[in-house]
Amino acid sequence: MPWGSQLDPDTTMGGPRGQFPSTQLSLLEAVSAGDALPNEALERVSALYWKPVYRFIRVKFRKNNEDAKDLTQGFFATALEREFFARFDPVKASFRTYLRMAVERFAATEHAAANRQKRGGGIEFEPVDDQALTTESPEEIFEREWQRQLFALALDDLRAHCEASSKRLQFDIFEAYDLTCGDRPSYADLAERHGIPETSVTNYLAWARRMLRQLVTERLRGVTAGERDLRDEMRRLWT
Amino acid sequence: MDLNDAVLDRLRHVAALPDLTGTRYELESEIGRGGLGVVYAARDRHLDRRVALKVLDSTLAAEAQLIARLEHPSIVPVYDTGMLPDGRVFYTMKLVAGARLDHYLERAPSWGERLRVMRRIGEALAFAHTRGAIHRDLKPQNVMVGAFGEVYVMDWGVEAVAGTPAFRAPDACPDRRSDIYALGALLQFMLPLSAPPALRAIAAKAMRADPAARYADVTAMLADIERFQDGLAVEAWSEPLWHRLRRFAARNAVLLWLLAAYAGVKFLLFFLRNL
Repeated sequence: MPWGSQLDPDTTMGGPRGQFPSTQLSLLEAVSAGDALPNEALERVSALYWKPVYRFIRVKFRKNNEDAKDLTQGFFATALEREFFARFDPVKASFRTYLRMAVERFAATEHAAANRQKRGGGIEFEPVDDQALTTESPEEIFEREWQRQLFALALDDLRAHCEASSKRLQFDIFEAYDLTCGDRPSYADLAERHGIPETSVTNYLAWARRMLRQLVTERLRGVTAGERDLRDEMRRLWT
Repeated sequence: MDLNDAVLDRLRHVAALPDLTGTRYELESEIGRGGLGVVYAARDRHLDRRVALKVLDSTLAAEAQLIARLEHPSIVPVYDTGMLPDGRVFYTMKLVAGARLDHYLERAPSWGERLRVMRRIGEALAFAHTRGAIHRDLKPQNVMVGAFGEVYVMDWGVEAVAGTPAFRAPDACPDRRSDIYALGALLQFMLPLSAPPALRAIAAKAMRADPAARYADVTAMLADIERFQDGLAVEAWSEPLWHRLRRFAARNAVLLWLLAAYAGVKFLLFFLRNL
């Protein structure tokens, strides 16, 4: 049974998606540039990680939509207060792993405290019957949501870039071919639909895919701790 | 934009395709995934020929440099190296038309043919060892047998490659002896259940847990295989007497037949004389 089929609907929160990103500083560069992480860097992190954190908490701690939202908001607020980012050591783990483990600790503590208040101690989970059944672990769901959010953000960037640079046709062709859920149209169909040669269709597609990769890389650069971390994350993403 | 799993997987795939803009190559299709990289078929526009283009997952340019140093008939020649706009390193090499060793064995080649392929692999490995290179990940998926019987050992490893469990030596630090272990595992993989015990013993000796108990080098192992093919005793196996007699009989069949014929004639003459 797919995840979420028995849950109340997910939140639509998750922070606004950014505009076309300029070349971004890595997290470490951003941290070392000042005492606190600049707002722009924080926005990058929360734009990418809000949804994965929220879904991780929902599945791992069996929370309903509202509680999971509160915990997610609480995590990001606490993380900022406690100089969470400054304590990150890229030698020990990737930023993604560091963040997930911090979420787990934070949510477990909050969950235990809430249960103590309510029942006088001990962690008690909600009955499993009321929760979603899934074959994926919470960690796998976190990873999958992270990928989904990363590509969603990069697609928003691509769309914004195409609109700003009069390349709407390129995006339309890419959307019709690579983003469609059902049967893909053929190159010939797309060429006929837009009144252009087939070679232009393939060129536009290649361009859009190249741009998407660039934009994904840029988004990743903003939430990784330098070139090595970036390459490791990219390898994980492509394979 | 909400992405379902199918679209997400497609995007991950298309975004990973190498951007060859500004190079002399045109991407055709993915043909395999190996140690730390993906191999594509591509067209070299300058020379109008198809090549294999391997994109490494990280800046492991050392792999291309390593292979470029190894000029041998059974090692795929590297044509060119370069860097993609995203920083990934790629290199191009001869596109081998043929079958992977594991697929090739499904055609049930003869004994002699299996051992010929084995010796070609061993020769490539022995050559690489003399150049200070080790493979690190020798396995059937990394050997190609071409349409004309040529054999290529591919995917020469770099330090980041840990090897494939069934072919990986239990050594703490991989070295030439670890490659000998993998060669033994490959021989064992190529042998059918009915293989002679001498050949099995050669594979077992190469695969000893203690590196010092394996063959000293690949050449010594190949020499043992050659001894087997010549009908001689192999170093890896102290054979029982009846095996030795049978081998002697097989090697000297003509002589034994002549002796038997001579004895038969003598007996017949003796018999006729005493009638």
